[in-house]
Amino acid sequence: MIQFRTILPFLNDERKRSSRLLSYAGLLAGITLLLCTVQMFVNIGKLTGEKNISQDGFEYIPISKTVTNENMGSDNRFNDADIAYIKQQPFITDAAPLISNQFRATISAGNIIPFSTDIFLEAINDGFIDTLPESFHWKKGQAVVPIIFSANFLEIYNVFAPGQDLPQLSEQTLKALRIKLECSGPGGTEEYVAHIVALSDRINSVLVPDSFLGYANSIIGLQPHPLAARVFIKTDKAESAEFLNFLNKSGLHINKDRMRLGHIKQIVSVAVSAIGIFAVLVILLSIMSLGFYLKLLVARSRDNLQLLLVLGYSKRWLIKTISKQWTPIYIITTVCGVALLFIFQILFNAQFSFRKELTLFPSIYALLLAVFIILICMAQNRRTIKKLLEDV
Amino acid sequence: MSIILHHLIPVYLASEKTQNSMVWGKDLVFEKGKKYQITAPSGSGKTSLVHFLYGLRKDFSGTIKINETHIAQASDDSLSAIRSNVLSCVFQDLKLFPYHMVSQNLEIKKALSSFSGALSIAEMTRRLGIYSKMEQPVIHCSYGEQQRVAIIRALLQPFDYLILDEPFSHLDNRNRERAFALIMEEASKRNAAIIMIDLHASPYFEPDENIML
Repeated sequence: MIQFRTILPFLNDERKRSSRLLSYAGLLAGITLLLCTVQMFVNIGKLTGEKNISQDGFEYIPISKTVTNENMGSDNRFNDADIAYIKQQPFITDAAPLISNQFRATISAGNIIPFSTDIFLEAINDGFIDTLPESFHWKKGQAVVPIIFSANFLEIYNVFAPGQDLPQLSEQTLKALRIKLECSGPGGTEEYVAHIVALSDRINSVLVPDSFLGYANSIIGLQPHPLAARVFIKTDKAESAEFLNFLNKSGLHINKDRMRLGHIKQIVSVAVSAIGIFAVLVILLSIMSLGFYLKLLVARSRDNLQLLLVLGYSKRWLIKTISKQWTPIYIITTVCGVALLFIFQILFNAQFSFRKELTLFPSIYALLLAVFIILICMAQNRRTIKKLLEDV
Repeated sequence: MSIILHHLIPVYLASEKTQNSMVWGKDLVFEKGKKYQITAPSGSGKTSLVHFLYGLRKDFSGTIKINETHIAQASDDSLSAIRSNVLSCVFQDLKLFPYHMVSQNLEIKKALSSFSGALSIAEMTRRLGIYSKMEQPVIHCSYGEQQRVAIIRALLQPFDYLILDEPFSHLDNRNRERAFALIMEEASKRNAAIIMIDLHASPYFEPDENIML
């Protein structure tokens, strides 16, 4: 078996070692930057995206029409055409109106908690509710109306209750309460027993079944088809530029924090993408620089290579053997890049140690990319050497 | 196992030069184990013939078959297999690496395909009187010394046919005798054919066949 070191003295490598090392350093810098860029994308996604994402991978976001001085007097609710238009958007998976009560609704908790207040009731398609118990349905004639109560409302109540001499309530106690619900309007007055069956983190409202609100709006409020002031949308692209642009263009409004987060994510993504493009350019330049080195090497060794062929060395063996010499260099450079990626991820993690979404181990995508880079470098190297030796 | 030349004519050769030739335009066979002497004056195409046989040039009509392989159509891999195992050659222009040591020039051939029965490099260089030049760049050796390096290099591989293109042109009689003896010894170990190509018939060489180019 002939070794590369046999022919090594016949390859005229007069170029300064330092310039070759510079190419390797450039390659290392490019690979590290690119891997860190991919890791940054993964980290940003984890830090900004998953907080509001439900188990099905979608976000459910309430939107309303922006009220301005110009449109204050007009009706800023959503009609069927508005909802259909929202549903048509490619980055919106589904949309459902949040219908409100068109009658007066009052609740009181009886003698145990001397508390009585007017409330608003809303209803939405069941598919948009995060905590949907089996008991959340209502039929005409049913005296008990199941309610899904906002977890935020309970929290607010418990903050202010002591100041009003009212008892604080646990979730279990709240669910055990039988609340009197009085609905009155042009169609008359009806009394029901409301029973809180679940708390919702997603929807800040007092939700009743669609069937109940439909019935009460028609019979008590005498408005069978009310328009919705809020629409819930289901999307997996809440931070995308298209989504944010669509909201701005259509005069729609979402929580400002969410919008700001989306903009920040957009800006950071653009910055990280720019670094990624720069990294790819650095890698390409390094590969080109190594390509020039190979061209120079072959050009300077042309006579010797021709003579090796005359002596009986085969082109195929020369291509294979010379190409193989760079394999360890590419592997070592990429492994160093992966090691630096680990350090980057540890440092990044230290900055966000309070966020459990991040892991110390880099993303599998970054590691797969590292393997891909090794393969690309080796293939390109072999291609260059083959092309050069074919001409000898 | 033979080299077969069929109607071989260099494309550039004037037709009158082929009329009296026993090679150009004729059928010729070189068989393993035999010795051939090809003589011709300068400009008759001796080196061209060597290059045709070795697959370095293809500007000829007719065919050359070496152990059933058409040399003009052979792939890179076939050519390298022939050059490292079947055909060995001492070129007139020697084809050495001028800036490398004598030892490196020999080792590079030995590494390719060693013949277990051959003498060692040290033994051969001692016998031809160039052992002391081993660590000297070829360019610093005299042409006679370089010729001896080329002869030894040709003997460091297995071969069925050994082509010698004016191999002793710069050697004195004593060195010719030594080199000739070594060549004969190594060729007989391999039962190889020797094809000696020169301006004149060599007094040391007793060929089975004399051929006028």
